[in-house]
Amino acid sequence: MNIYWKEMKTYRKSLIFWSIGILLMVVSGMSKYAGLSSSGQSMNDLMADMPKALKAIVGVGDLDLNSASGYYGLLYLYLLLMATIHAAMLGANIISKEERDKTSEFLFVKPVSRNSIITSKLLAALTNIVIFNLVTLISSILIVGQYSKGEAINGDIAITMVGLFLSQLLFMSIGTGIAAVKRKPKTAGSLSTGILLLTFILSVAIDLNEQIEGLKYITPFKYFEPKNVMYGGGLDPVFVVLSVGMIVALFFVTYVFFKKRDLNV
Amino acid sequence: MKNVIEIDHLTKTYGKARGITNISFNVEEGEIFGFIGPNGAGKSTTIRTLLSLIYPTSGSAKIFGKDCIEFAPEIKKEIGYLPSEVFYYDNMKVIELLKYSASFYKKDCTKRIKELAEIMDLDLTKKIDDLSLGNKKKVGIVQGLLHEPKLIILDEPTSGLDPLMQQRFFELLEAEHKKGATVLFSSHILTEVQRLCDRVAIIKEGEIVAVEKISTLQENNYKKFKIHTKANLDADYFNLAGVSNLVVNNDTVSFLFRGNLNSVMKKISDVEIANVWIDEPDLEEIFMHYYVKEA
Repeated sequence: MNIYWKEMKTYRKSLIFWSIGILLMVVSGMSKYAGLSSSGQSMNDLMADMPKALKAIVGVGDLDLNSASGYYGLLYLYLLLMATIHAAMLGANIISKEERDKTSEFLFVKPVSRNSIITSKLLAALTNIVIFNLVTLISSILIVGQYSKGEAINGDIAITMVGLFLSQLLFMSIGTGIAAVKRKPKTAGSLSTGILLLTFILSVAIDLNEQIEGLKYITPFKYFEPKNVMYGGGLDPVFVVLSVGMIVALFFVTYVFFKKRDLNV
Repeated sequence: MKNVIEIDHLTKTYGKARGITNISFNVEEGEIFGFIGPNGAGKSTTIRTLLSLIYPTSGSAKIFGKDCIEFAPEIKKEIGYLPSEVFYYDNMKVIELLKYSASFYKKDCTKRIKELAEIMDLDLTKKIDDLSLGNKKKVGIVQGLLHEPKLIILDEPTSGLDPLMQQRFFELLEAEHKKGATVLFSSHILTEVQRLCDRVAIIKEGEIVAVEKISTLQENNYKKFKIHTKANLDADYFNLAGVSNLVVNNDTVSFLFRGNLNSVMKKISDVEIANVWIDEPDLEEIFMHYYVKEA
């Protein structure tokens, strides 16, 4: 448990900053909604004139932007990006930082197995992710609720947060998996965020071009889109099984590879 | 005598780069064992393999009679390690780091931390980030000894320490040794090995070239000859079996000799000499001899 608490302390400051970031994102995003909806002009008309490519990039898609929940669905894309960047970097760094900072000759000569070190670190990362998710959930419910005019949206927000959590876990496990496999500790973080960016661009490309819709299985950004998940759609079991399977496999890779390889000392 | 460390044909290769080849030696309980060789000879690689930071390509090693990979967490309870380069968590205070280190061992180390910090003159309230190299090394020493380990592994421990602190550190090691601790001491500085160690393994380019008692190395094997002759000699006059490091400079000849002394003495008596010195060589010269001989 000492490693767990040490990691919690190490990441405390960064978690606080990220939480403030989420709060500001939700507050500023929803205040824009307030401004636009009070201007009298229907936002849907405005959006209808927008080129499809631009709509795909900013994440509007087919959402009804006149309702608070539709606007939240747009905001969700940015929250998802923040959450997955946080998770991927956290996962990659928490494993690789001992080697990057050359503290492995301290930690790995202590009377603990590599497996239990990984377990403590994964638990600490998981805690950070859960807190990140809860902060997003609570600030969304509180702030979006201000603008909902009686529309029942708490259930919709909650279900998107389950999707958010699965995406966070997936990118965290991509981060830890890469950090465990790669011997060069400095590259783990950038490779993980590189994969994240690539899959995000792919998801935009899929929105633009229906012919490559089959590729949606390889980009987590297409798994739990608000337009599908909200309004009673729920999480698609195929994508739930797919993400859970990948998460389990990547955590397995993290343990197996990290135990077997030489540490970079 | 029981062996604390048994290294059996240990080999580690890193792709193209040479690591260590076929290393075997034992460290007995209660001795201070020197592990000596120039930079890059494979000392740290051997030590890191013993600590299962890296895994051997072939061969194996046992510590306290147990395989050093399979039983790593268990045997590490009784190992204190000081790496050659010390790096710790920069944003921690010294005392926080030492307490964190102590939290891995199931005993109360508070008193021992205070004692060691006092001996090594270490300020516990400073941030690791603000420490000089020498002070970081002191943190390393305290960190390695605070749980009173039975086996102390030191990788070039004196680099960065001033002479006074080196002295204190050696006294500390001798005290631990008296209490029964076994020490594996890696270094490229011969005088400190000569001073502390009972036995020494010499490593060169990844291979062990000799494992001997310091006393054997120094006394029994080699004599250092320096001869002043009245007339200039043929350069090859003293080039006989057992002679090494032969230097002929006009009327002065010097060399190391190992073997039957009578054969050299006869050679000397055949020439007119002005003066002769016969000394015990210091370890440095023996060491150079190992390296020159096989170069």
